[in-house]
Amino acid sequence: MKTERINPINAERSLVSDLVGRLEIRMLALALALGAALSILSPHFLTSNNLLNVLDQSVVVGIVAIGMTFVILIGGIDLSVGSVAGLTGVLLGRGLEHSVIPVAIVLAVLAGMTIGLFSGFLVARFGLPAFVVTLGVMAIGRSLAYIFSGATAIADLPENFGNIVYTSIFGVPAHVLTLLVLYALAWAYLNFTKGGRTVYAIGSNREAARTAGLNVLTFSILPYVISGGLSAVAITFASAQVMSIDPLAGTGLELDAIAAVVIGGASLYGGRGSIVGTLIGVLIMVMIRNGLNLLNVSPFWQGSAIGAVIITAVLIERLLSSRAFSR
Amino acid sequence: MKAEDPEAAAQPQANSVPKPMLIAAGIQKAFDRTRALAGADLDIYPGEVLGLLGANGAGKSTLSKVISGHLTRDDGSITLQERPLNLRSAREAIGFGITMVMQETSLAPDLSVLENVFLAELGRPGLLSYRRLKRRAEEILDRLGQKETLPLDREVRLLSAAQRQLVEIAKALALNSTLIIFDEPTASLSPPEVERLFQVMTNLKRSGHTLVFVSHRLEEVFAITDRVTVMREGRTVAKSLDTASLRQAELIRLMVGQEIRSVPANSPTKAAKSPRTRVFEVKRLSSAPAVRDVSFTVHKGEIVGLGGLVGAGRSETVETIFGLRPRQNGELFIDGKKYAPRRAADAIRAGIGFVAEDRRIQGIVPDFSVRENLLLGHLAASRKFGLGYSQRKVKLNELIEKLGLPAERLDTNMLNFSGGMQQKIIIARWLLLEPSLLILDEPTKGVDIGTRTSIYSMLRHVAEAGVGVVVVSSDFEELLSLCERIVVISDGVSIADVPSAMLNEEKLTLFAAPRTSMEQNSAVLRDIAHDLNGAAFWTLVDQDRLFCLYAAVTNDQADPGFRAGDTPMISDTRIPAALSRRSDALVLEAENQLGTLLLSVLSDRGHDMGWIGVTLDGRSPLPSAEQLRGRIEGFLGRIVKPQ
Repeated sequence: MKTERINPINAERSLVSDLVGRLEIRMLALALALGAALSILSPHFLTSNNLLNVLDQSVVVGIVAIGMTFVILIGGIDLSVGSVAGLTGVLLGRGLEHSVIPVAIVLAVLAGMTIGLFSGFLVARFGLPAFVVTLGVMAIGRSLAYIFSGATAIADLPENFGNIVYTSIFGVPAHVLTLLVLYALAWAYLNFTKGGRTVYAIGSNREAARTAGLNVLTFSILPYVISGGLSAVAITFASAQVMSIDPLAGTGLELDAIAAVVIGGASLYGGRGSIVGTLIGVLIMVMIRNGLNLLNVSPFWQGSAIGAVIITAVLIERLLSSRAFSR
Repeated sequence: MKAEDPEAAAQPQANSVPKPMLIAAGIQKAFDRTRALAGADLDIYPGEVLGLLGANGAGKSTLSKVISGHLTRDDGSITLQERPLNLRSAREAIGFGITMVMQETSLAPDLSVLENVFLAELGRPGLLSYRRLKRRAEEILDRLGQKETLPLDREVRLLSAAQRQLVEIAKALALNSTLIIFDEPTASLSPPEVERLFQVMTNLKRSGHTLVFVSHRLEEVFAITDRVTVMREGRTVAKSLDTASLRQAELIRLMVGQEIRSVPANSPTKAAKSPRTRVFEVKRLSSAPAVRDVSFTVHKGEIVGLGGLVGAGRSETVETIFGLRPRQNGELFIDGKKYAPRRAADAIRAGIGFVAEDRRIQGIVPDFSVRENLLLGHLAASRKFGLGYSQRKVKLNELIEKLGLPAERLDTNMLNFSGGMQQKIIIARWLLLEPSLLILDEPTKGVDIGTRTSIYSMLRHVAEAGVGVVVVSSDFEELLSLCERIVVISDGVSIADVPSAMLNEEKLTLFAAPRTSMEQNSAVLRDIAHDLNGAAFWTLVDQDRLFCLYAAVTNDQADPGFRAGDTPMISDTRIPAALSRRSDALVLEAENQLGTLLLSVLSDRGHDMGWIGVTLDGRSPLPSAEQLRGRIEGFLGRIVKPQ
């Protein structure tokens, strides 16, 4: 057989360096450049107070974005995170009226996971489009949030509820620490466990994963469960930050979370993306908001700025990847 | 590459006076890393049906696409009616009257048949007259003789594959094409549909169209073409040979060259020669609707082929064995232990590996490195929370060394490798788990011939090491040369289990004939047996061996001693005298007084289809041979002869 197979040297780059080199590092560079630009433009940016502020503002969207990363990695999408956050927030408020703080939080998280199980099961078992299922759950969640709250904010929360945010460990606020721990766990899970690699394999080629004997059903549902549970965790911190629970809370959260994941380099077709990329994506988004505030830019411009970043990130990714993977 | 065979490259017979309408010479085409065409030549004479023959990957489709403008050539020349032709698009080719009917049809599924036939017209400005289009469409279908088979207002997505093909052909006629290229048109058709397509092609030829028929199926090429051009490895090895003057063996030699012989043909592997241990057994497996009743066994070190036609239920059978499909009935045993897979992971843990048919869709995880693709089966088998990759490290290094894969490429992307290497990596995915049974579904599909040979020898090594291997293949030639034993599946039922040394392509084809035609023939034989109160059977005879396709026994006294799927020696049956003599007369066995009459069956094209036999108990008075023949011939009109 004389058909020649030419393997160009540059195709020999390792996949590891491919991913790190192409994705996270580039995004990290963008985040650092953004930080540098902001610290030149505003003297207030590079203060420890403001940096803690950036982290503080990253917690809610950051936690939700972890779950969203899992869902997007399997090629799905979860539009319901915002309203699940709203609903579980209201359930948390009701729980706090009747029981102690840890129990109320655990119940709220379980409720979030149950909703995720519901969506995930419909998507994975019956092959319904994730977009449509979670859109439906989004509407139901918000509606139930109004019903259970009586359409008013719950403001009389126990005083020590705020401690989950304002307790510091080694000088780091508890919620920021939780965020980092959750990211570390998610990173370890996705890279070093059977389940994590199964999630990637499903997103990359569901049929091949099934044919190779991986448990596709379970690991197609799991991301939605994680996403629902983390929505409840996120709203817990958000409620403690403002010491009030609003049935409207979390509105638009899904868009921020999806944006963070996409800026972090994940493919909406699944199989490609990383948890570190998502964290960087979250930080980029929050830094833009924070920076525009510091520079006294009208908050109305923030949407345009973030939208531009999303489109630019995806465009760059596409241009680079169409060269690297000609498939 | 050897020099072209002078005899093979001989010019068409002297009597073909007309000049070719289209001449393609020295066509070259490379895709990225693969040279698909390396100097292909083709002459098409006006009004002929030209067969373009070659094994998978020979470049037939690529050449057809170059001629029909779907691809542009890198080098070479094409002349149409003595003028150079430089097509840049398929649209341009249509302008010259050249159309290609593709393997995967390019129809708009949500539009009606009528709209699809005139898709090109939909793009023109101005209003459409549906009434006029409808009239023209009916005229076209009429010309094809298919007015009844194709409802014009039906949406295309509701049509069968065969009907879609008809739409494609009608579309080509609507564009006034004179040269129509059919790319493997029979690949997904049932035998009656193939027959209908051939009728359509005959009608087209009669109305003055020139046709190119691309195929790798010899019987079909013999059935429909006037001349044959054979390709191998991107080159033309024989140009415009007269079909009538050809022999099958000659064509096979041209198609595959000498390479296929480098695989020692179906000799038992060393492991298989030692006392046989049964490694796998399936009994009466069913999984509706495709698998109805399948049983077979696999021994240690044995390569068993699952043969049959496309759609016979072979892929579904192995998928059920591997736990990818729900199993209604039947028992499965591996290494003597029963297993009942509810998921593929159960089968993997029991010791089975499965290489699926479509490598791109069912095999490769494109975003994973070679290493992780190799370890995917391990991941499925593992019950651990973590990865446990390290426990496979030694075996993994051993395997990649055998594959000739440099260790430093282990962490690169899988898609950078050739199709053959990708396939070997997927096979190695299962070897890593040291399985007892390895199942491969069409393991050489889309793999070039050179790599094919190396996959064959890889599989033989696997079997040598004591693994039971099951190969599903539609390529009878491949089954016959690779497998020691072939289990024939037809319509979801395993109907024969025959050592491949006893078989050839014709016998396999007859065994594999779909049940629908078999069922009717069986009914005829049952009627005969019943009518004469004896036994009636259909069998092939090769030297001193018998291949029974069907046997109906109404009277136990008249039992000929074999049943459907049996392949006994003639001397081991109860009617050896009749079978060895095969005369026109009614032969009476000396030993058991059985009287047997054999009638030879020929297909419409004169191929030997074996014998229909009737056996009667000679202790009661027998009719004369003439009387008997007269009674049987009435029934034989209902016999369906496979093509």
